[in-house]
Amino acid sequence: MFRSSRKVLILLAASMTMSGAAMAQSTTITFRFNDTEAEIRGAIDEFQRQNPDIKVDLQRIGWRDARNQFLREAAVGQGPDVVHSAQVWVKEMGDAGATLALDSLLQQSPPPNQFTDFVAQDLAKNSAGKIFGLPWTTDTWAMVYRSDLLKEAGIATLPQTWTELRQASAEIFKKTGKAGFGFPAGSSASGAIWFLATSYWWSNGKALIVAKNDGAYDLGLTAEDIAECMKYFKSFVDAGDNPKANLAASDAHDPSILQALVTGNQAIGSMPPNTYKQVLEAYATANPGKPLPFVSGPFPKGSVTRSSNIGGRMLVINAHTKYPEAAWKFVKYMSSEEVFSKFYRTQFPAQRSLLKKVDFGPELKGFAEQLEYARSWGAYASGPIPIGSLWNLAGRGFGMVLSGQRSPDEAAKELLQEVRKLMPQKS
Amino acid sequence: MRSRLFIFAMLAPSFTLLVLFYAYPIFKNLTMSFTDLSLLGMSRGGNWIGLDNYREILQSGDFGHILFNTLIWLTVTSVAIRLLMGLGMAVLLNSTALKRLRMQTIARLALLIPWATPPIVAVVIWRWLLDPQGAVNRALLGLGILDQPVAFFANVRTVWPAIVTIMVWNTVPLIALSLLSSLQSVPEELYEAAELEGANQWQAFRYITLPFLMPAILVLGLMSVFWSFNNFVYVWLATGAGPGTLTNVLATEVYIKAFVDFRLGYSSAIGMVMALVMAVFGAVYLRLVARRQLEESL
Repeated sequence: MFRSSRKVLILLAASMTMSGAAMAQSTTITFRFNDTEAEIRGAIDEFQRQNPDIKVDLQRIGWRDARNQFLREAAVGQGPDVVHSAQVWVKEMGDAGATLALDSLLQQSPPPNQFTDFVAQDLAKNSAGKIFGLPWTTDTWAMVYRSDLLKEAGIATLPQTWTELRQASAEIFKKTGKAGFGFPAGSSASGAIWFLATSYWWSNGKALIVAKNDGAYDLGLTAEDIAECMKYFKSFVDAGDNPKANLAASDAHDPSILQALVTGNQAIGSMPPNTYKQVLEAYATANPGKPLPFVSGPFPKGSVTRSSNIGGRMLVINAHTKYPEAAWKFVKYMSSEEVFSKFYRTQFPAQRSLLKKVDFGPELKGFAEQLEYARSWGAYASGPIPIGSLWNLAGRGFGMVLSGQRSPDEAAKELLQEVRKLMPQKS
Repeated sequence: MRSRLFIFAMLAPSFTLLVLFYAYPIFKNLTMSFTDLSLLGMSRGGNWIGLDNYREILQSGDFGHILFNTLIWLTVTSVAIRLLMGLGMAVLLNSTALKRLRMQTIARLALLIPWATPPIVAVVIWRWLLDPQGAVNRALLGLGILDQPVAFFANVRTVWPAIVTIMVWNTVPLIALSLLSSLQSVPEELYEAAELEGANQWQAFRYITLPFLMPAILVLGLMSVFWSFNNFVYVWLATGAGPGTLTNVLATEVYIKAFVDFRLGYSSAIGMVMALVMAVFGAVYLRLVARRQLEESL
């Protein structure tokens, strides 16, 4: 009896020692992701299968709170190990000391085709030129059309200029009674009107903030330029071809806009590709077996070019992580071809070599075309004013005009004054 | 002397806790308000800039508009409606008519539902109801009151009434139920005596019911003012302070300055201004209104 008990005890002790050793070898890192878990779950599970010594805890947070939450945590040495970041946040988070410089990790264990294969490298670096983020996904906005409504309104070709877009929208409203270009006209701090206004200015060779040859920054628009753009977008709301209800919508993925496109109550939209994919899926689910009545096209041309911002996400590593190597291994895996081809199919990869392999398909053709005209935020990102402040001020200014509180001329002057007030903050 | 020391020793732990729990955060916020601390520079800290943040607040062209929204719409309007509706509901719930119909319990339970609804859910429900394709628009169109749908949260004429509606819907049950409990403490004999004296229903309400309810109304009024003045959730979730800056209030301005513009120091200064306004209001209210009313009603 005694001897058998001793054997049990020895076995127990041995198993505890082994499991303790196994636990000691296992590393748990936390990954904070800002989109839906379903998009990424498969890739995380596969990473854990290939790396049994690394466990990944997935945290989720909405985009609106993601940056501020992480900055607050990082300031006191806390926060997740790997963080999903908008491309334009990386520089400021690096400068704030919240994220880890990746230069040595990139040297020791570079991704296939090196860092030079990635787009938006300028946004990954801080003021001192150190790399703080690995570009993960890339996209740009494009125009989306209901082909059946265009046909009903007698429009044979997609609008090519801003003027043609205005005419097409009015024509659709007049002939079909459905909304024409229904854009989110709300004025929240992160309203989508910012993207439309910026594309409009860029396509006309202008920008709210511009970098000068001496490295300083200046305002690149006059009050007349801003007022003209405000009047253009206001005309859609005033004429009714963008429903007034959209004054309460601030996001490209606002349910009322997506629903209107799916049900055929709206003919034209503007959005990033993952939102467009949601529209296509919703239509296919509601109308099984029917062909998709959607086409995408590039943004309208201005006096100089077409334009849109090249957007996307990066992965950054917390400056206070205890496991930089494990975190880097995870970041590299998430950027691999395997992840984009098998699991994370709602987004496009940020590596040029992988981007070439993407089959955009007929519905997404316009996005592929627009990518050629897409540009980085440039002076908005590198300049002295936080891009969030510019975004907020522009959104509020347009909101006051579109809702009829201010005339375009008054609001344009006020917007310029507010931006000018922030300019002296440059160092 | 020894007994005073004993009392002091006994109070010291509670006093220390209070200082740590309340005074330290206020002091910390106050010191931050004298700096240019940025969200991006939290680990480095901010530079001392004295009263610059306060000067900027007072000189800001928007401050008057934001203060007006906070005081008039968010606080005075919503609190007045809440108290009036809460009083009306309490009287209705206490009425003999409802008793006769045996509806009192059901009515009280039904009243609990909006109160138990979290504010975020209340906003989502009302955004859906007040949507141009929502039930309210459909009903108004059906009744011929409107000839085209109204985007309540985007229209400059309807956005504030829409926000106040959500606040009232979500919070009036607390007022009503609190007043109901006070109503039930009014002795029946007083009403019987008043009836014998020939008092009508309004006179009974004015000279018997209202004085009994006054202490509760004053406390609920004070609490509602504090709670409404500092409220962030309803405005931010319903409109994001828009359209434009039409519904911006002090609490949303604190958020925008701290987390959009990254100016934590400036944002702290707005917070201190809010605290100061409420402290002054609380002191004046207690000194001039509440004490006199309480003395009269007791």
